[in-house]
Amino acid sequence: MKKPEKNPLEWIVFALGLALVLSTVGYLIYDAATLGDAPPTIEVRAGAPVRRPHNFIIPVSVINHGDRTAEGVEIEVVLKSGGEELERGEFTVPFLPRRATREGWVAFRTDPLTAERVEARVAGYEEP
Amino acid sequence: MSPTVQSLQEYARGIAGGLLFSLPLLYTMEVWWAGFTTHPLRLLGYVLVTFTLLLGYNFYAGLRHDASFAEVAIDSVEEMGLGLLIAAIMLLLLGRVTSDMPVSEIVGKIVIEAMTVAIGVSVGTAQLGGADDGGSGEGGGDGASDAGRRGGKKAQTRAGKGRDEINFGGQVVIAICGAVLFAANVAPTEEIVMLGAEISSWKITGLAGASIALAALILFYSDFVGARELCPTGSFSGILIGATITYAIALVSSALILWFFGRFDGTAMITCVAQTVVLGLAATLGASAGRLILQSR
Repeated sequence: MKKPEKNPLEWIVFALGLALVLSTVGYLIYDAATLGDAPPTIEVRAGAPVRRPHNFIIPVSVINHGDRTAEGVEIEVVLKSGGEELERGEFTVPFLPRRATREGWVAFRTDPLTAERVEARVAGYEEP
Repeated sequence: MSPTVQSLQEYARGIAGGLLFSLPLLYTMEVWWAGFTTHPLRLLGYVLVTFTLLLGYNFYAGLRHDASFAEVAIDSVEEMGLGLLIAAIMLLLLGRVTSDMPVSEIVGKIVIEAMTVAIGVSVGTAQLGGADDGGSGEGGGDGASDAGRRGGKKAQTRAGKGRDEINFGGQVVIAICGAVLFAANVAPTEEIVMLGAEISSWKITGLAGASIALAALILFYSDFVGARELCPTGSFSGILIGATITYAIALVSSALILWFFGRFDGTAMITCVAQTVVLGLAATLGASAGRLILQSR
């Protein structure tokens, strides 16, 4: 086989390309080897309420601890006092990839600080 | 012109080609989603198949017609690296990749976009160069063959040299490249799923017939670029065989792409076939017209 004719620039690009391709392939192999099969396991974390001019909003983090992606994740946050529901806020996360975190806000007319409890939960989701 | 400038021009053409051919995919949300819903093993398979296609395309229709296998492999690695880089930069600029995403999501999105970009880079490097720039980047390539190839006369181009007489296997490889390049632009969209689910059996049959007719028309009856040497008009049976083989390649390519994007998961057999035929029309265009364009010089 004849020796490939390349100038230094081409060798540099080749070296960088090889490094990129090998690390990508390496990562995919590593990921495939370590990936489990746990269904979406979703944690919902409500933050501290914030007062805005027209309403009150609560930041919500949605975290998928599972090994599969969840689609159409419905999040609902309920303000409760004495076992009674004061107000309810909802939003939907279109896609929640495995190990990913998405942020959202729920809005209320009632001041969440007047409620005894703030319950945040995931209502449901589908497998893409 | 110095070899370095020539190489830089080649890379610039590659970047242009990569973006030209893959832009619809970079702007399609179903492709971003596939980046994180696809299992890493399937992504790995996608990378390997694309690399094989790159090797095949560079070997049969690449810029350096007299390249050794080592050079073809080096070029393919360069093109795949460029593809990954371009995809990463574009996704970053479009805000589809951000630092708060898990690594698996970032890598998935980049890989899934980069593969078509890489084929585009390869095609761009080989096909988009000016005919008289002498920018073949052939290093010490012999001037005579260079001039012959750059003369723009296809008859001259194909004359003499062993590999320039592209054989059946080479045509199949380039046809697959064309089919993938064209079909991949519509394959990941929801529209294919919808069409596959709603279409009637008679219309599927009609689409299949139209695809074969289209292949015959492009390859044998339209004096298409390069068609005269690659598909000389022969007997009716020859035309039928040529069109049918082209359509078969198109169907296999579209089935593979659809399977890759998870369109066959939990889907009834008939719907899979319907989707394949619907996408097969796009793939046929790629396997016939695309194939001729991809090696038109």
